Amino acid sequence: MDIREVLINALKGFDLRKIIKNPVMFITEIAFFISIFIIIFPSDFNVPYTSVYIYFYISVTVLLFLTVFFSNLSTSLSESQSKAITSSLEKMKISTKANLLKDGKIIIVNSGELKKGDTVLIRKDETIPSDGEVIKGSGYVNESNVTGESRPVLKLVGDSVTGSTKLVTDEITVRVSVNPGESFIDSMIKVVQNAVREKTPNEIALSIFLSGVTLIFLIVVASIFSLSTYTGIKPNIDILLVLLVALIPTTIGGLLPAIGIAAVNKVSQYNIISKSGKAVENAGDIDTIILDKTGTITMGEREAVKFYSNQNYDYKEFVKNALLCSVNDETIEGLSIVRLAKKENINYSEEELKDYEFMPFSSETSYSGIKNGDKYILKGSIRSLSEKLNLNDAYINGVCKEISLKGGTAIPVASAGKFIGVIELNDILKPGIRDRIEDLHKMNISTVMLTGDDEVTAAYFAREAGIDQYIANSKPDDKYNKVIEEKNKERMVAMIGDGTNDAPALAKADVAMAMNTGTQAAKDAANMVDLDSTPTKLIDVIFLGKQILITRGSLTTFSIANDISKYFVIIPAMFYLFPELGFLNLLNLTDPLRAITAALIFNTVIIIMLVPLALRGVKYTPSGASDLLKRNIMVYGFGGLVFPFIMIYIIYILLGLGGIAW
Amino acid sequence: MTSIYNIIDGNRAVSGLIITLIYIALALLFGYIISGYIKKLYTDEEEKTWLYPISGRIVKFFEKFLNEDKNKQMKFKEYFFTLIMFNLFAGVIAFIFIFFQHDFPYSYANNHMTLSLTFNTVISFLTNTDIQHYSNTFDLSILSWTFVITGLMFLSAGTGFAASMAFIRGILNDNGRIGNFYHDFLVSIFYLIFPLTILVTIIVIAMGIPETLSSYINIYPIGSQAVKLPLGPVATLVSIKNIGTNGGGFYGANAAFPLGNPNWLTNIVEYISFMLIPVGSVISLGKVFDKRFGNMIVGVLVVIFVATSVLTFISEYIGIPVISSLGIFTGNITGKESYLGLASSSTFQVGAVFTSTGASTGGIVDYTPTGLLGLLSQLVLNDPLGGVGTGIVNIFTYIIFTLFITSLMIGKLPELMNIKIGSKEIKYSTLSLITHPLIIIIPLGFTLLLPLIMGTFYNGFPSNISNLLYEFASAASNNGSEAGGFLTNQSYFNYLDGIIMLLGRYLILGIQLLLAQQFAFKKPKTVYDKSTIDTGSVSFGFMLLAVILMIGLLSYLPIFALGPLYAWAKDFNFVVMGWI
Repeated sequence: MDIREVLINALKGFDLRKIIKNPVMFITEIAFFISIFIIIFPSDFNVPYTSVYIYFYISVTVLLFLTVFFSNLSTSLSESQSKAITSSLEKMKISTKANLLKDGKIIIVNSGELKKGDTVLIRKDETIPSDGEVIKGSGYVNESNVTGESRPVLKLVGDSVTGSTKLVTDEITVRVSVNPGESFIDSMIKVVQNAVREKTPNEIALSIFLSGVTLIFLIVVASIFSLSTYTGIKPNIDILLVLLVALIPTTIGGLLPAIGIAAVNKVSQYNIISKSGKAVENAGDIDTIILDKTGTITMGEREAVKFYSNQNYDYKEFVKNALLCSVNDETIEGLSIVRLAKKENINYSEEELKDYEFMPFSSETSYSGIKNGDKYILKGSIRSLSEKLNLNDAYINGVCKEISLKGGTAIPVASAGKFIGVIELNDILKPGIRDRIEDLHKMNISTVMLTGDDEVTAAYFAREAGIDQYIANSKPDDKYNKVIEEKNKERMVAMIGDGTNDAPALAKADVAMAMNTGTQAAKDAANMVDLDSTPTKLIDVIFLGKQILITRGSLTTFSIANDISKYFVIIPAMFYLFPELGFLNLLNLTDPLRAITAALIFNTVIIIMLVPLALRGVKYTPSGASDLLKRNIMVYGFGGLVFPFIMIYIIYILLGLGGIAW
Repeated sequence: MTSIYNIIDGNRAVSGLIITLIYIALALLFGYIISGYIKKLYTDEEEKTWLYPISGRIVKFFEKFLNEDKNKQMKFKEYFFTLIMFNLFAGVIAFIFIFFQHDFPYSYANNHMTLSLTFNTVISFLTNTDIQHYSNTFDLSILSWTFVITGLMFLSAGTGFAASMAFIRGILNDNGRIGNFYHDFLVSIFYLIFPLTILVTIIVIAMGIPETLSSYINIYPIGSQAVKLPLGPVATLVSIKNIGTNGGGFYGANAAFPLGNPNWLTNIVEYISFMLIPVGSVISLGKVFDKRFGNMIVGVLVVIFVATSVLTFISEYIGIPVISSLGIFTGNITGKESYLGLASSSTFQVGAVFTSTGASTGGIVDYTPTGLLGLLSQLVLNDPLGGVGTGIVNIFTYIIFTLFITSLMIGKLPELMNIKIGSKEIKYSTLSLITHPLIIIIPLGFTLLLPLIMGTFYNGFPSNISNLLYEFASAASNNGSEAGGFLTNQSYFNYLDGIIMLLGRYLILGIQLLLAQQFAFKKPKTVYDKSTIDTGSVSFGFMLLAVILMIGLLSYLPIFALGPLYAWAKDFNFVVMGWI
């Protein structure tokens, strides 16, 4: 981050044409200009001009400048973040030559000239020139410059490919799906840039509210001019300016633009393309989230999770045998058995396997194993092994049944004419998923899991992960129906999808995140695309959406609650000529000018103090609405009431210690 | 040594507080009784009311005549245009009639008003304000009273209630329409306002308020010159003035005049009758929408109401320190009717500013500074309970704000009963809420700078500031009570007040109906799953109260400081005086 540029941009923010979009800061800047004029032409403003007052006017001018500057600084800080993001995105875009297929001939063109519907041929080690869909061939694509994932991804006919990624094997033909300037990376850059320029509907609503409050205080302060004149006190314009700036909601007004930009930046840092800033805010409002079981809640691959030895058979011996018969088995199951055995500290030596011959799994036999003459270790389905070895073991049958009730697959192992134990294969929950689902519950978001698995498996995983509702044996249109059902109940729905058959549901859902590995149709229908295809990120986006809104609401409450203390400091100081009004002077500040300065210093400093909070978002621990409301009312409402009293008092004392007595 | 405890102690303080609470309890009780009936009007179920056989026929007759009915629903533009045209038409007729009243029968030579006074008076009654800048009952002829003023009183109340029907319908509807103005107006008049007026008229005639077409009688008090005692359709006027939260009495002294409010019983009847529709409407919200939501609103309003009633009563009870320190603990009886006493008078007065009635039982100018503060704070809040109809709409704009802030604080996009609150809704709520302070503070700041006008004030600083604020706040909130303290009948105030009343009524009403139009596209649904703001909860009620006080009241602190607060600090500050 270039600090010089940030500072320069903060100064550029003083441009009236820019700042007028933020009425609160606009008023503050005008006040700043007037305060300069007061120093230069004091007689025109009819204000006292002793040396004490000159110091006061200068410090007011400096503080007003800093108020606007700090606000601009927060905006330019977040803008520089987004610039860093866009420039790194720009770097991703690789301009390349493309083999355009036209009338059966290959024409070499620049990638920037490709239009939607064009067909291009990509050979091994060539860069894919544009976003599109594979229509012929297949090959591995390295997408590391977009997703950061270095393992190449297999792309088949119908899959989507992203421009600027690289084909590392084979040859594919791709139909271009976007026009120049509309590609993924382009749209991502656009969103980040738009966050700087455009306000979301919620942001607009809050700005209107703040403008209304500002207008009231403007009129109120103007009326004090009349009141003072009427009562025969010469109104001091400079003090009126301070009161105005103290009363208008400068805290939230100054930080509002930065909050929105920072949020969109964060989304980009998650490697998610959001098609609009609004979608992120909507995410905070979700009532129901629809999740796929496989790939989102579970790892999606069947792995060995537990060994069960037969009665009267040594456990370690059994694990050893299971390991031996799987060492050469290169299926996912086999590999995972080896892994699990190693985890249990069971090892083998090559010696032990030397004489054995490996029999791979085949669909006719339904088992695999090793054999050395009449010595053998076999693993396979219970039916095939029972038939082959003519075995019937009640205990093993029971274990197998139990495993299948959990949705797992039982792999019995047989050796020397009897079953020696069972290996349980099961899909496993993604690490940490339980906690995420628990967080969703705390936010009162109900969770729905869809799976093509049978009832038993679905029920098992729903229970394990803490999912509220599941749909087993789901058909392709179940997702769509569920979205419609929830929408009819006036609930906001979020979902993840990747296939073309998900597209209608994605289009209907309020927050729809498509996986980058998904089809083009799914990506078009969604309002967010996850570049690394990590489905659980949707939960992060929901968190983020809530955080933006909470940050805005809390700072607004804080800002308005602050007014009470500022009133009770400035009003008695302003009317110190009426000693009767001393009862309003709750802090008993005896030096009026110093009190007013202290209030303005607080008003200025609080902005820069809250910049990190605005950029990071307020702390958000998932909890129910009423608890959260109570907590935030306490922290930002009562805190906003009491905190400034304390701070202004401390600043007042410090100013006195610093020898400033007016 | 005088101490505050000398004054506070004693049975009279306790009994006064009990009287105050009894008044409030009675208002709530009768409001509750009528709330079910009002609910039926709000939900378009007037056929289910017991008045349907009579009122239904009358309404149908008029509808047939106008070729309108409730199925011809209007959008905002048409509804508001009809409302404005109807009011404008009535206003013009009333203006012509009053300006030329001495040319009509049943009038006397002294029944005459200047142009500015006619302008002010017509707008005043048209907008449900009923500020009375004319001082003499003889300024208006009996015919003007009977037809024009009474007519406008019905019309303004009917318009207000019709607008509230449209507002509620806007929330309930999903067809983008807010109702038929003619139908709503007729229903308001013939199902609600007219029957209640008849009922109250009968009650108050029985209690001794006169009702006649003769204009005055001469009284010959012993040892004094002959006095003309004005008479007229007083009972009818008292009834509609209260039922319609109008507030303009036949007698200049309003409810403080013995023939307008003869005894403590009529005082209670009048109090209940002007609280009736506003309280009933607010309680009915719980029946129209959701019970807990309604209870929350009633709760918040009762807190404000009890607080101000007690503040004003205690202030009046403690009285004027200079007198109390002599050992005479009468309380502040200046300008109050002795037969009503302090508690009844001050409670009546707070009720009259808490609703937009503005009737008065005494000289408001003579209230103690903090007593006056209690009244002023209601006026600057745009009369929290409002007038007939307008109250519930006002409270909704505060609710929308509160929902906006609280929803953000829990990380949800704001919604009112499942209808999203977007930038447009916030825009209209903001406009509606800031218009009120703007049309008070701008004229106030301007007038203070005119020495010629400020020279017509009698009491000097700081009372003048309080009185000026009271005048504009009363006009802007269409309340109509007057503190006076200056020459009210001068063309500057006649015209300026007239404009403030117009803006305070029609501009705010227009913005609020526009808001209703925004809500008219989706059905409301109150859901209390734990993820949304529970609008029936204590924390929400607390926030609503905070928003009302912060947005509505806090902006006036500087003016309060140099008005009532300074007056209190100067002569009433017990700490300074060593009472505490």
